[in-house]
Amino acid sequence: MNAPERSAAFILDDDEEKIEYAADTKVSNAGTFTLNKEDHTMSNLLRMQLLRDPQVKFAGYMHPHPLVHKIHLKIQTTTSQVAPAETLSAAIEDLSNETDHLITQVTDAIEKWKRENDTGMMGM
Amino acid sequence: MPQQRFPKIEILQIAPHYIQFILSETDTSMANALRRIMIAEVPTLAIDLVEYAENSSVLNDEYIAHRLGLIPIRFMAEGSLKGGDCHTAFLPHQECVCYDRCPRCSVEFELDVNFDKYNQTRPEQERDLSLTVTSRNLISNNMLVSPAHFLNEEEQDESHDEGISIVKLGPGQHLKLKAIARMGISKEHAKWCPVAVATYRFWPEITINQEACSMLTLEQKQELVEACPDRILELDEITGNLVAVENAYEMATFTEDLKVAQNAMKKRPEDDDFVKVVQSQDRFVFSVESTGAMDAEEILMSSLRVLKDKLNYLAAEVEKLKD
Ligand SMILES: [Zn+2]
Repeated sequence: MNAPERSAAFILDDDEEKIEYAADTKVSNAGTFTLNKEDHTMSNLLRMQLLRDPQVKFAGYMHPHPLVHKIHLKIQTTTSQVAPAETLSAAIEDLSNETDHLITQVTDAIEKWKRENDTGMMGM
Repeated sequence: MPQQRFPKIEILQIAPHYIQFILSETDTSMANALRRIMIAEVPTLAIDLVEYAENSSVLNDEYIAHRLGLIPIRFMAEGSLKGGDCHTAFLPHQECVCYDRCPRCSVEFELDVNFDKYNQTRPEQERDLSLTVTSRNLISNNMLVSPAHFLNEEEQDESHDEGISIVKLGPGQHLKLKAIARMGISKEHAKWCPVAVATYRFWPEITINQEACSMLTLEQKQELVEACPDRILELDEITGNLVAVENAYEMATFTEDLKVAQNAMKKRPEDDDFVKVVQSQDRFVFSVESTGAMDAEEILMSSLRVLKDKLNYLAAEVEKLKD
């Protein structure tokens, strides 16, 4: 009866922004991004990429509740010269480039496999 | 300062419904993101709405609608024989501007099976049998879209069925309906899931210390081979050395027995291990099996496309946030 629409897991509500940011009031160079309608798929990817950045002192995410489709991603940078949003941008860009690289890798690998294993699947 | 990685892909096997490959030089977060996207975010077509004109079968409307929803629907791009990514050809119905539905966001299937009418065309001795309505009775209004009756030709040859069974009809029964397929993702409903299986396992790194092994007798080596329940080791026929079997990567699961057996063979507990098996943290063996809605390799390509789109979207949103 009062069950939310299943699509509420991935379609933004009318008044919802994709990302919200709140600077930490107690810790300097830190803040929490709220990623609406995201889950472990992107958050863990971003967290691990952020942790590889030497300018990031802390990166962690929290999925508050299985029925609440949002993620809190907290980032603290090492210096006030670098805003958390900058490191997040950099992490997304690196992952984006990694994905581009993977797309060419997969395309090449599939082509190579089909060349080496002529299974009559060519042209399929 | 970019922290970009350059992962590698090696294909182990490709069949229309199955792909096995190795993803390496990246970490679990990437492997897991790809796995999760293949399961929950690769768009496919599935029947989402059914309009009944007549249903005098033994199953009620909802029951049949549910069964129709679970039939894999295959989209084949023009000139292609592969079950492909349907996102270029269709819009999600939530995003389409049409009032109810249109060819841009839906595909219609007509189904009309009347037992009595059909029975007249059957040979005399078969007229007492019930009539099975299958996915073959769904007639699509889009040439590029059809139900995937079987996973592959082999399955089709072995099967006694014509397609995926929906309901059996008896004398006097009639099923007539219009089924509307839409594009969606399985975050909304599992019927949109393109994969039956999408898993990865960590590559087992098997290190054999030949120097330490030279202290062992042939019997002891044989004992180690047999201690491992997955049989990931064997003795080289010529040299008699312990070696890992060729396909150890797809068998290695449990190695505790091997540890116990080799600890018993050590002269001192602090001696080096003869055989060490550890999970690689940057090399993953993926197995992806399709439901039939898409070719397995297309699911992989589509998952990367989805990942790229998601990252682009987030990148733009973070830029907006900065202003
Ligand atoms: Zn439409």
